[in-house]
Amino acid sequence: MTFIVELIDVWKSYNGIQALRGLNLEVRKGEIFGLIGPNGAGKTTTLKIIVGLLKMDRGLVKVNGVDIYEKPYEYKKLIGYVPESVSLPDYLTVEEFLIYSGKIRGVSTKHIRERIDHLTNLFELEDKRRSLIVSLSKGMRQKVAIASALIHDPDLLILDEPFIGIDPMGQHLLKELFSERVKDGKTVFISTHMLDTAERLCDRVAIIYKGQNVASGDLKILKQLSRTGENATLEEVFLKLIEEAEVKSTRDEMLKRGRL
Amino acid sequence: MRIHVILNLYIFKVKMLLGTLKASKASIALLIFYTFGLLPGLFGLSLTLSNAVRETVDINPCIEQLSSIASLLMVFAISLALRGYTVFEYEQNIILTSPIKPREYLIADTFSNLTSLSIFANPLVIFYLMIVYLLKLSISSALLILLSVLLFTFTLLFLKVSFSIVKSLYRGVLTNIFILATIFLLLFPSAGLISDLPIGYTLLPYPSTFLAKIIVGLVYGLDNLIIDLTGLSFYFLLSLLFFLSASMKNFFPSVSSIPFISPFDTSMRMQNLQMERSIRVFSRMGVISILNPESRSILVFLMKKEFIRVLREGSLFTIILLYLLASLIATSISGSLSQNQQILPYSLTFIVGVYSLTIPLMLVSNWRASDSGNLWIQLTSGMDIYAMVKALLYTFISLSSTIPVVVVAVLSMIYKVNPVAPLILTISTSMIGCSVNLYVMIGLIKLKGIGAPSLLIGLVSMLLSILLLTPVYILVMLELNLGFGDARSWLSIVVVVAYSILITKILSKEIGKNIYNIEL
Repeated sequence: MTFIVELIDVWKSYNGIQALRGLNLEVRKGEIFGLIGPNGAGKTTTLKIIVGLLKMDRGLVKVNGVDIYEKPYEYKKLIGYVPESVSLPDYLTVEEFLIYSGKIRGVSTKHIRERIDHLTNLFELEDKRRSLIVSLSKGMRQKVAIASALIHDPDLLILDEPFIGIDPMGQHLLKELFSERVKDGKTVFISTHMLDTAERLCDRVAIIYKGQNVASGDLKILKQLSRTGENATLEEVFLKLIEEAEVKSTRDEMLKRGRL
Repeated sequence: MRIHVILNLYIFKVKMLLGTLKASKASIALLIFYTFGLLPGLFGLSLTLSNAVRETVDINPCIEQLSSIASLLMVFAISLALRGYTVFEYEQNIILTSPIKPREYLIADTFSNLTSLSIFANPLVIFYLMIVYLLKLSISSALLILLSVLLFTFTLLFLKVSFSIVKSLYRGVLTNIFILATIFLLLFPSAGLISDLPIGYTLLPYPSTFLAKIIVGLVYGLDNLIIDLTGLSFYFLLSLLFFLSASMKNFFPSVSSIPFISPFDTSMRMQNLQMERSIRVFSRMGVISILNPESRSILVFLMKKEFIRVLREGSLFTIILLYLLASLIATSISGSLSQNQQILPYSLTFIVGVYSLTIPLMLVSNWRASDSGNLWIQLTSGMDIYAMVKALLYTFISLSSTIPVVVVAVLSMIYKVNPVAPLILTISTSMIGCSVNLYVMIGLIKLKGIGAPSLLIGLVSMLLSILLLTPVYILVMLELNLGFGDARSWLSIVVVVAYSILITKILSKEIGKNIYNIEL
């Protein structure tokens, strides 16, 4: 089995809070992978460590076998990333921003023009090409950010809560896009709160809680792990697994205190 | 009209204004810095004014100057009405949707505006007290001056509010013509600033002229001020009537909302909002694109992108405006202090020295407000971050040095003075100032995140810049006082440039290292 993303025993703390506690995670090539978990579970921290915006305290992260610390330039060129709250250069037009995104990712001049034509057409942004980003709605900005993450046609697309702020047509468009990319052998890695969407869209999911991977796999495996029965939804599976993880966490904490 | 509703609304609005002041120590520091920063200048101005009053025989020029300034204030206030009546977003959501009457809202709004004005005008109160003391004015004269200023201020506020309501309710061409005609008429007394124009507007009954005549009359101890006081009161009553009739209209559905920006709020969110507003304003001038993927050098490409930013966010416009002002100040100082141009190199060097320190701070602060939140794009792209640092630095240095160099060169040619001292200062302050400011900014973002306090960044940057510029200041002082001669002057330029390049190189490497270690 070839993995495009590998996280091995990743630890991260900031401001005295332990965000990740030995997280292990594997994402296969050519799948839509979902990272789900309650607020503060460490989803965004995990994504930020993978894309290099945060530095882990210890552990190992590889994308397509490339270590982020050994070959950072080569590593980052494999990834397209869209954060949860998108901040874009308001002073550029949509076209200028896409040119900029392509240029800093080393896309050739000829390909930049082609990719911009393709992406603006795909995201229905043709009439906004000359508009300043400051004048765009939140949904439009999200589309521009996703277009810029795809400008270099990366092997791995990472999106933090991609459906927030996007209208139903836009959400449908995104789901179509993700499926198309997977057909082309690319990988899509999303974090989301929308469990029904994750259930329908993702090939596999990982449930993380308090910085640890509670369970991962396709829905069938998760149902077996949670013993929730054949007809259970991802939401029911999620709630059961989180409840068990909470019980385990409390028991571990009490044991730890007992020893002290 | 319900007084308790007006009072509650007034208190709410003032609390909104002052809430941000209480919330951040940086805001309080900013207010204290603002007040005490202006005091030395106001003290000097009050001394100069009181001396001038004692020596002046002809009071007409004083009336002309004062009425010109007052009239410009009126023009400014009424021109604000051209965008219609604006309210803050929180007011539109919370207040305008409640069962409050337009007049109740307007009265509370007017008084809260007056409160915020008085907080900002607090150095002017000290200035007023100094003038009263230095000129030994009687209590009755001092109170009459205060009353006249208050009447004039209320007239301004009432006119601004009423014109704004008219503009919001009737958005046709006729309204614009009406407002613009009023502005045009009020511009006549401003012609007093150009003293040679033979216009006898001081004889015309403008509110600004009445105010000027009352103040100057009271200062010079004249007693026939009844007509002027009646004239000013008449305009006050007229504006009040206009205000009362405008406040009868339900203008709530026609207002436009703006984000709430408190002048005391120094948070990053507020700076971003202000920058967004600035981009919207400057983008109205047209969007000319110079960014194309054909650029072979990534450095040139990135510099073009930075140039677009400073153009569209208004930084370039501010620099040009500041240096136009600087050259005016430099030439007027030398003109007023001496009949010959001996003083010009000193005043030019001083002004350039002060401005050159603030421009890098402004450029870097504006970059932080508009672009530091977008660092995730570069940091996740796999680009060479050092190229980005170089592009930023080179753009800042070229912008902060080119315009002053042109100003210094032009003034030196016109007045035939030696440009070496101001040139040395401009070049080195620009190079060292830009690299120090960016170094401190990135260092503090690395330590404290994007929301690191701006005031702290500004203060540390200024101190470090001055420290590193000490050798340059010494060299400039020697050049100004001793005059090195041509060969030594050029040598001193070479030495200073070499020193500045060295500092810039060292700091740019450190900036590159720090950017890699930023966690977002």
